[in-house]
Amino acid sequence: MIKNVKEVKGKDFNIKRSAAEDRELSFNDDICIGCGICENTCPVGAIEIAAIGNLSRNYFTTDFSGHRKIAQNMDKIPTGVKITINEDKCVLCGMCSGLCPADALDLKIAGESIKDLDSYPTYNKSVDFDEDECILCERCETACPREAITVKRELPNRADLVTGEIDVDKDTCINCGICEELCPAEAIDVTKEPGSEDIVIDKNKCVYCLVCKKACPVDAIKAVCRSCSYGEYDFDPEKAVTTGNIIVDKESCINCGWCEGVCPTDAAKVSKAFEGTFEIDQDKCGQCGACIDTCPCNALYFPKSQKSGDMLPTLEIREEYCIHCGACEKLCPNEALTVKRTKINATATNSKAWQDAINALKN
Amino acid sequence: MPKHIASSLKYLATIKLRKQGFSQQQIADDLDIDRSTVSHYLNGRNLSWNSIEFAKTLTKLNNKDFLLITQALFKDLDKIRTIILIFKKNEYKGIVDDSCIGCGLCVDLCIMEAISLNALTAQINSFYCCGCLTCEEGCPTNSIKILEENNDQKRERS
Repeated sequence: MIKNVKEVKGKDFNIKRSAAEDRELSFNDDICIGCGICENTCPVGAIEIAAIGNLSRNYFTTDFSGHRKIAQNMDKIPTGVKITINEDKCVLCGMCSGLCPADALDLKIAGESIKDLDSYPTYNKSVDFDEDECILCERCETACPREAITVKRELPNRADLVTGEIDVDKDTCINCGICEELCPAEAIDVTKEPGSEDIVIDKNKCVYCLVCKKACPVDAIKAVCRSCSYGEYDFDPEKAVTTGNIIVDKESCINCGWCEGVCPTDAAKVSKAFEGTFEIDQDKCGQCGACIDTCPCNALYFPKSQKSGDMLPTLEIREEYCIHCGACEKLCPNEALTVKRTKINATATNSKAWQDAINALKN
Repeated sequence: MPKHIASSLKYLATIKLRKQGFSQQQIADDLDIDRSTVSHYLNGRNLSWNSIEFAKTLTKLNNKDFLLITQALFKDLDKIRTIILIFKKNEYKGIVDDSCIGCGLCVDLCIMEAISLNALTAQINSFYCCGCLTCEEGCPTNSIKILEENNDQKRERS
């Protein structure tokens, strides 16, 4: 008798069937966006999605001196797994894995993910950074709602960007420390203790702003900025370049397009699995914000008024960042949201059943 | 006891193959036994007739029961396949519907290892299919139909 074995590790789990071939379906709760496509797709009805709206609400996580009634419910914040799979029903066909838009589910056959097997269809979604165009501004890192982007950059040496001369006449200097306090580059170190008075200027830090020279009550500092006096004749532009690279965690990335949207140099390019439309019924929306908390793409938001007395819509969407996963539609308690998928970008498959499952994502 | 029944099945197989015109050496190679044993079998020696009667009854069981007992007796895939194919009464043709999702459960269930997945669809090898219907019963999407075809042809050497 062939039996599936389930292994649970925290919120993650995997289901294994080892017979003629080894099949292993694994679920990663952190990556799951709660869209429910797996539940609708599963041909044997083995998957059940939890109350995602409840799980993804942003709760206070630190102690606060609020109302006692609220405080006593602090320990009742729901913490659950987003989906459950009945291992006795699951046949490890991998449809949930193939159609998961976030790759939170992954079926491996003989150790190889079906996403790497040609016979299985995969979404044509991608994120690419043109390193030649990228100026390492970190805007994408800040905008990414999944914290999937890390910009590693090395700044130019500050001493290479300025040029000048500075010197202090220690006989004149009274070690008052005014220059030390003023120096914006923290390049001056003054020792005031009687007997061991001293002043040291770090020329690697000094930017020749001349603030110290101007403020010195005894005119002990002689300094000149060469750029100001003679122009940038001895400035090497190559030394002024910021170098580095971008690391994208493709596991967390959901191809929402924020990086492409905020990139000032068109270095980021994103293509999405689904195309479609998004509608908000403003009359039905109850402004609970569950959709905003759940949206993995940070595409939904409450608009802010610019001036008092503004009449605003209840909820707005930045549709260019929506991936049409449908998580918000599923959890909205007022049925105010309608997500329609009109096109699925996926590779072809010979299997009619899989083709039908992909087409069924359109609605 | 299971040993005697296994030998009796081999005895019945020997008689059957001899009638089909195979040489003693061919039979010995097929059944993985000594040529002298084949000779003994054909001369009706060294066997318990009770066991042979029992083995005869086994061959009359339905395909699934006979397959399960053969599996229990022989364990090794090649030996199971040899015995099952010698006593196979019909040819079977597997029809796989478009609704197949490629879960591979049938591949895992098939004792004869007659099923493989090709382009996300199950493919049933008629040569090894013994009509036990385990795949048809186990298929989660009811995509498999096993059809019976009469077999008048003599078994060909594989």
